[in-house]
Amino acid sequence: MSQLPCVDMTLLDGILERYPREEPSLIQVLQDVQRTYNYLPCEVLERVASALGVPLAKVFSVSTFYKAFSLTPQGRVVIKVCTGTACHIRGAGQLIDEVQRRLRIGPGETTEDLGFTLQTVNCVGACAMAPVVIVGEKYVGAAKASDLAKHLGATEGGDHAN
Amino acid sequence: MPRLVIDGKTVVAKEGTFLLQAARDAGIDIPTLCEHPAVEPYGGCRLCLVDVTRPEWDGWSKMVVSCLFPVEDGILVSTRSERVTQTRKVVLDLLLARCPETPLVQELAAEHGIDRTSYVPNPEPTDCILCGLCTRICDRLGTSAISSANRGVGREIAPPFHEAPPDCIGCLACAEICPTGFIQYQSGSARRVIWNKEFKMLRCPTCGRGHITEDQARYYDGRNGVPARYFEPCDACKRKEQAAIAVSLMAAPEGR
Amino acid sequence: MRIESRQEFEAAVAAARQQGADRRREVLVCCGTGCLANGAAAVAQEFATRIEADGLDATLALHAKKTGCHGFCERGPLVVVQPEGILYTKVKPKDVAEIIDKTVAKGEVIPRLLYKDPTDKKAIEHYADVPFYKHQVRVSMRNIGRIDPADLDDALAHGAYAGLARALFDLTPDQVIAEVEASGLRGRGGAGFATARKWKATRKAKGERKFVLCNGDEGDPGAFKDRSIMEGDPHAVIEGMAIGAYAVGAREGYIYVRDEYPLAVEHVNLALAKARERGLLGDNILGTGFSFDLRVSRGGGAFVCGESSALMRSIEGKVGEPRAKYVHASDRGLFDLPTVLNNVETWSDVGAILEHGGAWFAKWGTAKSKGTKAFSLVGKVKNTGLIELPMGTTLRHIIFDIGGGILKDRPFKAVQTGGPSGGCLPADKLDLPVDYEVLTANGSMMGSGGMIVMDDRTCMVDVARYFLKFLVEESCGKCIPCREGLKQMLHIFDDLVEGRGKPGDIERIERLSRGMQLGSLCELGKSAPNPVLSTLQHFRHEFEEHIDAKTCPAGMCRELTVYQIIEDPCTGCHLCTRVCPTAAIAGKPKQKHVIDPALCIACGACFDVCPEDAIRFLPKKHEGGGHAPAGH
Repeated sequence: MSQLPCVDMTLLDGILERYPREEPSLIQVLQDVQRTYNYLPCEVLERVASALGVPLAKVFSVSTFYKAFSLTPQGRVVIKVCTGTACHIRGAGQLIDEVQRRLRIGPGETTEDLGFTLQTVNCVGACAMAPVVIVGEKYVGAAKASDLAKHLGATEGGDHAN
Repeated sequence: MPRLVIDGKTVVAKEGTFLLQAARDAGIDIPTLCEHPAVEPYGGCRLCLVDVTRPEWDGWSKMVVSCLFPVEDGILVSTRSERVTQTRKVVLDLLLARCPETPLVQELAAEHGIDRTSYVPNPEPTDCILCGLCTRICDRLGTSAISSANRGVGREIAPPFHEAPPDCIGCLACAEICPTGFIQYQSGSARRVIWNKEFKMLRCPTCGRGHITEDQARYYDGRNGVPARYFEPCDACKRKEQAAIAVSLMAAPEGR
Repeated sequence: MRIESRQEFEAAVAAARQQGADRRREVLVCCGTGCLANGAAAVAQEFATRIEADGLDATLALHAKKTGCHGFCERGPLVVVQPEGILYTKVKPKDVAEIIDKTVAKGEVIPRLLYKDPTDKKAIEHYADVPFYKHQVRVSMRNIGRIDPADLDDALAHGAYAGLARALFDLTPDQVIAEVEASGLRGRGGAGFATARKWKATRKAKGERKFVLCNGDEGDPGAFKDRSIMEGDPHAVIEGMAIGAYAVGAREGYIYVRDEYPLAVEHVNLALAKARERGLLGDNILGTGFSFDLRVSRGGGAFVCGESSALMRSIEGKVGEPRAKYVHASDRGLFDLPTVLNNVETWSDVGAILEHGGAWFAKWGTAKSKGTKAFSLVGKVKNTGLIELPMGTTLRHIIFDIGGGILKDRPFKAVQTGGPSGGCLPADKLDLPVDYEVLTANGSMMGSGGMIVMDDRTCMVDVARYFLKFLVEESCGKCIPCREGLKQMLHIFDDLVEGRGKPGDIERIERLSRGMQLGSLCELGKSAPNPVLSTLQHFRHEFEEHIDAKTCPAGMCRELTVYQIIEDPCTGCHLCTRVCPTAAIAGKPKQKHVIDPALCIACGACFDVCPEDAIRFLPKKHEGGGHAPAGH
């Protein structure tokens, strides 16, 4: 089942060096893999499994259980719309609709050119500024559907945001 | 040893025994779906819920799953109190909505007076009740080739990446333990297929039938002191051989 | 330099205090997540650049400090000029020069940057006089906003580790537990279990290897106190855990932090390194022979990991599935070894309790709920942010005196506490004193201190459905009642908000709720029906209107609502056309506007911005459905 190695496996060595080779390191390693590769490539997970001595099935189980992980490549810019309670009652739903309308992707989906990924997150703890959208690394507080185009356009995700 | 009362019957059980076992030993039946003596208790199906009362705590009572609650001295256990029965019904009603076409679920639900689910039936009926027996037996055997994937309503049992599981040895334990027949396989003298993985069978040198997979033989080789040659004659032939030896010994006059 | 004795500790504190005293002037720039989002980093940078360029540290003895969250996130970026305590809100980098030239150098106040009371529009100069702050009593958040979380000396100058020093130098482990018991401290993460009882059980448990854990998986949507503590004063958490470890006999611990809190992870890790460097953590702490160390474990994004047994599985590198808890964590917790797990806020309280004594903490609060409690006050309230108050404060005081009342002065409808395990309390409960017992008795719970205020534009059926949707995604799926029950409950609620409700739905909801409460494996499933049942208890009529008349009284359920512009008051100001996401509103400037029902998606954005109250919502006409006017 190993495919041609099209990902840079050397990046994984640096990650594995940081943690003891044991099962409790699994989630920490996967966090770093997700950040480094922007997703969890299947061949990387196979190496993680053997390096930590964890069955591949357990690695797969953990990779699909936690929301921070994704088995498919994510967009260059990840748009996280907070759907915490405060954001919900201050109109997070409108923001999701707006992103969907502009980028034609639903929550959890990525644009074909890998420009953007839309995610919903259950409260980023910035409730006082609700509703909140995180575009890449940037927190946009008191976000308005009508202003979203501006924030999407200011990123390198692509040229959808017109 | 703790002495307790289950449905009015006084029961004495060994320290550390779970209520479910103590009840069964006393001839009291409690329904279960995710319990099996070969694996650790799980507490997922919730059918074995019982009511536990501690009279010395001013009648404090709580619902617990009997498969995981250890016996305690002096407790009163009811396996069919009003709220136990009601909760069991809700659980079965929900399970029937998930698995509307699964005979085992239908029968169990009918026993509790539910012929049709009162909830929205699953538009894609499945036979998997997510009891976790298959993954637990696979862990127990040490292969851990399959696992649960996703969470919540999306939870399923799957091999890694939904592809043929590299660690699977084709032992069929998962399929054998599955209470609903959800895990399908084909097995013949030459080949066996389970989880979309194909296995070559090891043929018995005596009768020529394929009885275990080559991967199984390799996996067991050296584990638990089992030598590779152990599998050379199949179990059936081994029994025949032993019987033949016994017969010949008995036949020999003044054999020993 | 490592601190290795009581004398050295006292000397280090004295030196740190002196250093603080030498800085005659100080500007505190709030760099919590909220203020950073509003551009605080650039403001802090501008102060640093100017101080450096103009040598202001020498001439004005000025020092700029990046602090954790001040709590008043709505008004960020916040800057406090010390020693006067002048609070500036919504500060921009271009304001920095003026603040230095006028306020720092000459003591002049800049009225433009002051906070204005929303009720009487009067400007307030001092931090301590702002209503949002003046009613607060801060224990767990005692140093947030006052210290630079990256500067251990600054923390020492403000009393950090004084409680640990007292515990290690003066008290036996049993005396430490007695002090916590005297404080009446109960778990700040949800259920409110007595902290000292947990510790005693773990101390008694057999075994050489024990753990103390910190639950920083603040998953309740609408709560962010733990995030702010970890970001703004990580030393308080470390100190509390070291004290707990000493009390129960543990040498190792983990701080489990939500994946969604990157800044908290960074600050906690930095604080751990600094504490280790100074001998406040690691081998032979403060030269007392007691050793204890901590690691950070980042969560993977799963609400269920706030549940103790799931959290422990997650630290072990496994999926976060809860286990039946007939054997307590105090006997078999992490790696099946004796374990104490407390919430971030609880740990943060511990240091202060040991420093000042249990009786000091117990002087606040009610009969059974002692001390203070942090809350995040959010939703449709004017002053949103983070607050800490004595237990027993009334909801009315919190929402109206501290929160400044409801946004746009609309009517108050409900306040949600306790997150997805909690409930909604209506207006007639506003005078209830907030403590564990009162909230539980009224169908809600303390949870992790989220308080989400709702106005008449909040549909309670939609709120209940919101929590169900949240939980459907977050249930681990191990047990049938939670996994299948939530899915079926959501089906019923989808029908309600989309006009397919039918008689008997309320009874079906109640029956299913009871099955889930009694049958589920862990607290997530057992408490999942709470938001449903409490809204049903207090707002049953809204459910009935959705079912019988197919109307949404709040005008929020899109399938049940249409929006219209009323001719008279419309001034053609064009505001609504700008916010309409589907360009459904047409009209020339200064002329009456019209909503095209074919394009309108009934999102209500126009209603919320209209300054003239010229937009109204009506029940959508369904075949055979009712059409009572819903008002505006």
